[in-house]
Amino acid sequence: MEAAAEVRLGQGGEGVGNLAGKYLTFSLGNEDYGLGILKVREIIGVMEITAVPHTPNYIKGVINLRGRVIPILDLRLKFAMPPAEYNERTCIIVVEVQGRSGPVQVGMVVDSVSEVLNITAGEIEPPPALGVSRETTNILGMAKVKGEVKILLDIGQVVGEGVLKRFEE
Amino acid sequence: MTETGKAVSELLDDMALKILMVEPGDLSVVGDLLDLGERLVTCKENANTPVLQGMGKAFRAALEKIIMAELPDSAENYESLGRCLAQMQEVVRKEGVADEATLNAFAASLGGVGYTVDAADLAAASPAAVARRSPAAEQASPAAPPAGGASPAADFLQDKELLSGFIDEAFEHLESIEINVLELEQNPDDQEIINNIFRPFHTIKGVSGFLNLKTINKLAHATENLLDDVRNGKLPMDSDVIDIVLGVGDCLKDMVQNIKEVLEGGPERYQETDISAFLARIRQLQEGEAASVEAAPSVVETPPVATPVAAAAPVAPARPAARPGAIATVEPAPVEEEETGQRGGAAADNKGSQRKRLGSSIKVDVEKLDALVNAVGELVIMQSLVRQNPLVAKLADPKLAKDFSQLSRITSDLQRTAMAMRMVPIRQTFDKMIRLVRDLSKKTGKKVDLIMEGAETEIDRNMVDSIYDPLVHMMRNSVDHAIQSPDERSKVGKPATGTVHLRAYQKGGNMVIEIEDDGEGLNTQRIKQKAVSRGLIQAGEALSEHELNNLIFMPGFSTAEKITDVSGRGVGMDVVKKAVEKLRGKVEVHSQPGKGCLFVIRLPLTLAIIDGIIVRVGSERYIIPTIAIQESMRPDRKNYNTVHNRAETLLVRGELIPIIRLYQIFDVQATTYTDPCDAIVVVVENEGRKRALMVDELLGKEEVVIKNLGGMQDVPGVAGGTILGDGRVGLILDLAGVIASSVE
Repeated sequence: MEAAAEVRLGQGGEGVGNLAGKYLTFSLGNEDYGLGILKVREIIGVMEITAVPHTPNYIKGVINLRGRVIPILDLRLKFAMPPAEYNERTCIIVVEVQGRSGPVQVGMVVDSVSEVLNITAGEIEPPPALGVSRETTNILGMAKVKGEVKILLDIGQVVGEGVLKRFEE
Repeated sequence: MTETGKAVSELLDDMALKILMVEPGDLSVVGDLLDLGERLVTCKENANTPVLQGMGKAFRAALEKIIMAELPDSAENYESLGRCLAQMQEVVRKEGVADEATLNAFAASLGGVGYTVDAADLAAASPAAVARRSPAAEQASPAAPPAGGASPAADFLQDKELLSGFIDEAFEHLESIEINVLELEQNPDDQEIINNIFRPFHTIKGVSGFLNLKTINKLAHATENLLDDVRNGKLPMDSDVIDIVLGVGDCLKDMVQNIKEVLEGGPERYQETDISAFLARIRQLQEGEAASVEAAPSVVETPPVATPVAAAAPVAPARPAARPGAIATVEPAPVEEEETGQRGGAAADNKGSQRKRLGSSIKVDVEKLDALVNAVGELVIMQSLVRQNPLVAKLADPKLAKDFSQLSRITSDLQRTAMAMRMVPIRQTFDKMIRLVRDLSKKTGKKVDLIMEGAETEIDRNMVDSIYDPLVHMMRNSVDHAIQSPDERSKVGKPATGTVHLRAYQKGGNMVIEIEDDGEGLNTQRIKQKAVSRGLIQAGEALSEHELNNLIFMPGFSTAEKITDVSGRGVGMDVVKKAVEKLRGKVEVHSQPGKGCLFVIRLPLTLAIIDGIIVRVGSERYIIPTIAIQESMRPDRKNYNTVHNRAETLLVRGELIPIIRLYQIFDVQATTYTDPCDAIVVVVENEGRKRALMVDELLGKEEVVIKNLGGMQDVPGVAGGTILGDGRVGLILDLAGVIASSVE
């Protein structure tokens, strides 16, 4: 369960059973998402973000996280959902993923953080076939917990294609 | 035969020195090398040694392919070619007789370059070659040694962790060997230094034996024995021994480097190094040279790296024993005794400062250091935030005020210490120059004193490596071009020995490195002609002498032809300028015709901190590096021009400078001003291009700590971020990127 994303990458999408483990769940609009708890470093409130020019719109900019400059990615915009005003429930989830040269921390703006869930293998289904929509590459699987569906995100993938790759003009 | 050996071996020695100098991309040196190769093939002394001719031809052909870019212009290839030279020297040493092993090794070395030659063909040309052609000759010609289980690399790849430990250690040892050897040259009788050289060889021998690195082990062992003889007084410590130890050091470095490559790239990278030349030379030294001078003259003539020895005079030991430490006196052999004495006396005040001081130190992960610096930076910011908190500010308590000032003293102390931990003395880099000048002066036959000052000046650890190349380039220029030959020097009434000063000191928040020579100086008029003909300046342009001289740093000033015929100077000085600017420094030259040049490099003390002007553009704040800023002003309307109503320029001191509206290229909303004549423009220069950046307001000047943008790759126009005084992130401008994006 430790490195859920790696396990999946290693097996080419098979074996959702290995995805069982603890997930931090959060919401974007009406949808609930989950991401592997071991990737999460901390959760902070929204602070002033310095915009960085020549970057995609979903990169909100950078913040000072105790002396470290980290990029901030707006998950709503990343998933092409309508933008929302930031309010007191808006959070930044700081995750740590593997960059090209060592671990990188990236902050993700979400509508609100819900709870940490223990999700068992039996509750997880493979990602739905959404045609050729590339958004499913970000999804590890779908978990049905107490009648609610949580979308389990492959956060390494989200950050990798969203922040770490070179920005083309 | 003796004549043959001498002329050819001199040629080969020259070539060997040249190949040491070659750097990828430096085709002019390769050209020189080709010249020498040509001479080697055609010189009449070589006519009766067809095998050497054959080798020379093959060597030349490989070189030609590199020049024509048919083979890669890479450092590895030059290393292989260097080995070819060593093998040719070996053949010369054997009086033109090539045995099969040497030829095979030669073919393999050339194969390493990518040029295939059949060892058997070479052997056929050799009159003394053994008639039987073993199949090994054919096998040896293709490029790499066989990969896989049989590879010799596999022998030592058992314990990678130990091996990588050894590599780091070995490099350190080899560095210390080189420094100590050069010092020993000044103080040949100092037992302590001999011990300092002996010990690392011993360590390398021991560890390499343990790790099954047979070649390294063998070479280190032989050298250790040689040094042992010297230590016990059986052999004199003379320039021959020093040459061989230096040569062995280089060879070991190459081998260790190779092992590093094997570790990273797999066993097929392994290259067997031919050390027989060294072993033979060491044996020869140990067996006593006096005898061999008479018995076999050609042997003495052809050591791989050694200079010809004036047989009558015992060279080094006759030097004044207490030579000043910080001076590397370098002269071509044979040594002129009286002169050496004078020079030693003249500079005696620098005595003995070079002996290594061994402070106790620990190695710390750079990441931990960065974390500390980050934390301290935050501490400073938090402290000022607490202090400026309106409630706290209202408390008029003298005790609190006192405590606050005490606290800020402590934090700034802490900050200074944290920063200082990244700094190392520049000595490491300077010490390498001793060797460079020594080799160069031997090569060029000039006499050069290198006088170093301020080697203890501290410089950012990350900068040490980057400053090395430009420094080498400039030292090369000084010795190669600026300092005239001894004859020319005495003609103009200068001492035959040229002097190059290498200085480092701190001044005004900068690290300054100066290279001063007493050569002929720049020929300003020729530079002007050249610049005009290249279209760099207009014929009628009134430039001061200083400005003209600094044109040598312009790109394209010296690419097409060697500048040597203009001023004896300036080969690729734009490279130096670029490298220095990359470190956010500046370089300039001062020249006095006939008296010499002074190159001044100014560098920031650390790469971690940048001196910047904070500007406001709308709601955003950006930092412009101060070193690039020329001036700032509120433009006068009469100086403001547009082309096609779009491209805007500003006339500043007779120069038309394009205006860049920062808010436009950075897409900032709600700027205060949209008319440049209401706003403020900051005139900046980057790589010779000037631009006027339009901003709303100048907020102040600050030294800021540079941080990367957390994994984001190359944002155009942004060099990095920093934490400003209010705890928010400000972006540092990358002017090259800003200018580039304004062009689009």
